[in-house]
Amino acid sequence: MSLKRFSQAIDGTIPIQALLYDDEDLLGSQDNVGIYDGQQKSPRHQSGTAYITSHRLFYVDGPKPDSCSFSIDLSHVSRTDYYAGLFTSSPKVTVYLAGDVSSESNDEHAPSIWECQVCGNRNSPGFSPSAARICGLCGVPRDASDDPEQGSSATHLSSSLPASGFAGSSVPRSSKDPVPCPACTFLNHPSLRTCELCETDLPRRPSRRELQSAPVSRPHSPDNDEEGDMLIKVSFRKGGDKAIYGALKTSLNGKVWESKAAIVDRGGGNRSVGISGILRTVENSVQERETSMHDALQDLEALMVKAKDMVHLAAELNDKLTAASSTNDEPEEATFIRSSLTQLGLHIDNAPVTQDMTKDERRWHEELARELAKVLQAGLMRDKGIVALDEVWGGWNRARGVALIPPATFLQVIPLLPQYTTPQVSTRKFASGLTVLHTPPYSASAFSARLAGFLVMQGSRTTLEIALEMELDMEESNEAGMSVSLCKEMVEDCEREGGVCRDDVGQCSIVGGGGVGAEVRWWPNLFVGYVWDGEEDG
Amino acid sequence: MALSTHTTSTGFLLPSIHSAPPFFTQQPNPATEAIVIEQWTKLILSYARHRNLFYLRVEDAETGGDWDEVLRNDRINRRLPPTHLSSILAGMVAKNVATYEPAKQTRSVLLYWRLPEEWAEVLHQWASTTGQMNTIMTFYEITDPPVNSPLTNIPLPLLRKAITILAKSNRAQIIAIADGEGVRFFTPAK
Repeated sequence: MSLKRFSQAIDGTIPIQALLYDDEDLLGSQDNVGIYDGQQKSPRHQSGTAYITSHRLFYVDGPKPDSCSFSIDLSHVSRTDYYAGLFTSSPKVTVYLAGDVSSESNDEHAPSIWECQVCGNRNSPGFSPSAARICGLCGVPRDASDDPEQGSSATHLSSSLPASGFAGSSVPRSSKDPVPCPACTFLNHPSLRTCELCETDLPRRPSRRELQSAPVSRPHSPDNDEEGDMLIKVSFRKGGDKAIYGALKTSLNGKVWESKAAIVDRGGGNRSVGISGILRTVENSVQERETSMHDALQDLEALMVKAKDMVHLAAELNDKLTAASSTNDEPEEATFIRSSLTQLGLHIDNAPVTQDMTKDERRWHEELARELAKVLQAGLMRDKGIVALDEVWGGWNRARGVALIPPATFLQVIPLLPQYTTPQVSTRKFASGLTVLHTPPYSASAFSARLAGFLVMQGSRTTLEIALEMELDMEESNEAGMSVSLCKEMVEDCEREGGVCRDDVGQCSIVGGGGVGAEVRWWPNLFVGYVWDGEEDG
Repeated sequence: MALSTHTTSTGFLLPSIHSAPPFFTQQPNPATEAIVIEQWTKLILSYARHRNLFYLRVEDAETGGDWDEVLRNDRINRRLPPTHLSSILAGMVAKNVATYEPAKQTRSVLLYWRLPEEWAEVLHQWASTTGQMNTIMTFYEITDPPVNSPLTNIPLPLLRKAITILAKSNRAQIIAIADGEGVRFFTPAK
């Protein structure tokens, strides 16, 4: 019976993914199928799931997955047929099988990791039978390299034939002698087609290895009562036949199992054999990566274009709303729409400046500085006179929305700021590396003068208290609004200048105190100009 | 805020800077710290002169002792931390108003609120006024005389230094005697 001949039993309890070879893909699956062996129903395979992969057709039985499941290599399929089904008979897909099954014995190829004799690459056992015959890295067919069952006695220079390993091979190599090159007399590996040194064509061995397993010349004597054809039918009890048939067709067309064999057999250049093969594989993978990246980035550009359109749309919408509701109070919906637009960042008064808008880089920086000045005055620095650089950068990019500014450009724009801002915003860098933008009241000298005055009036203060209490201007009582760490930086800078001195309460207290630096109070610098008024030397 | 001077129980007048809490903290600013060390030096030497103290150790900042009135200020709840005192001592040694005694360590100094040269003069002066010229005196007689003199309780290393200075100008001579050392003073040859 053809089923028995062409199928291999598998353990259906293992999930299908684990049974696949490394280069095999699952194309489709369908449950509630039954199998016909020839024209009769196969009794053991009536209720199960069929899987089509790029290499095989699987049947996993429902009631007894461990004993009644099998797989059929698609390399044995000569043609397929489709029967749509009438009232009570279900749709069927017929698979005609041919081929010399006995010539295929996968066992000696599959089980273990094998080391390619030519390049030393260890190939894992997960590949499909045809792929397992050639080395993954250099493409040299396996039987030309060492077979583990031979042991150490056989090297590729010996002329002894492989003893038991290749019993299943249809036409084994006649010898494993090195081939001398006709031009330079270098002894080449028998599997090479051109000499490794001088690239002249090597004389072909008389018996070439046939790796194509289907079709093959030797027919089998038919031991069944078919018309010379062996066939399997898959009956779909619950539909899904069209999809499976499509997948089967795709798989057969792909003929993935043949492609690997074809590569080795090609007469011309050695596609995947030898050093050039490896180089070519690397080149191809690099190119593949480049194209995929290129495609991905193109999508991004398309997105950007769309975003611009959306911004235009939002601006138009906003104008329309303004025009419509200028006479009376805005209806609720209009306000809602407007606020949502602003929240989404779609409605900005001026579109961000990008480099393609202005030709000259210097002018572009100036435009950016102008824009940044507006952003600062609108929001970032309106309440506070001093702000850290990372806050500014983040806020500016958030306001822009598209075409974000990289840090390098940002640093170039900052020196231009004092020209476009009133009051002048300048940069200041602290000893700890923190850089801030600040208005004149927060410059080093102004701040230390203010701090000294504040301390003299209020007495000693800790850093926290200074941050909270110190006012911007002694006459008007503006809230200072300085963060504590920023305040600490400024006070320490002042100390470095000699404006204030510190009192380490933590370290110097007799009662209490938490240790060095636990609490630091600041005093105006009492030591400068101090005159000794203690005990006079007698 | 106005700082005020304060007189201690022993009658020593503390300067107003001593009532300022920052005075006790080591200042990171080098210029400020230089001023702080200068003031502390002056204060320490002045107090040593007042109380006739010769040694100052880093441990004095931690435990109670003769130096409490200066190294701590209980009214403002501040004390001089040992690390700060250590750097002040280093400053004093650098200025030659103190020396590490015993040598090769940094925890204890001998204060020169009077320079060894001055000590030499005082020694010679005392020897002549008490009529001990040309007689051999033991060190013990000098450091512990029946009548209190400026040299009472002078530490021996300092005494030796002073005598060495006098010896250079031929006004004293060290004599080795049984059970200690002796010294003889001469009137300078005219």
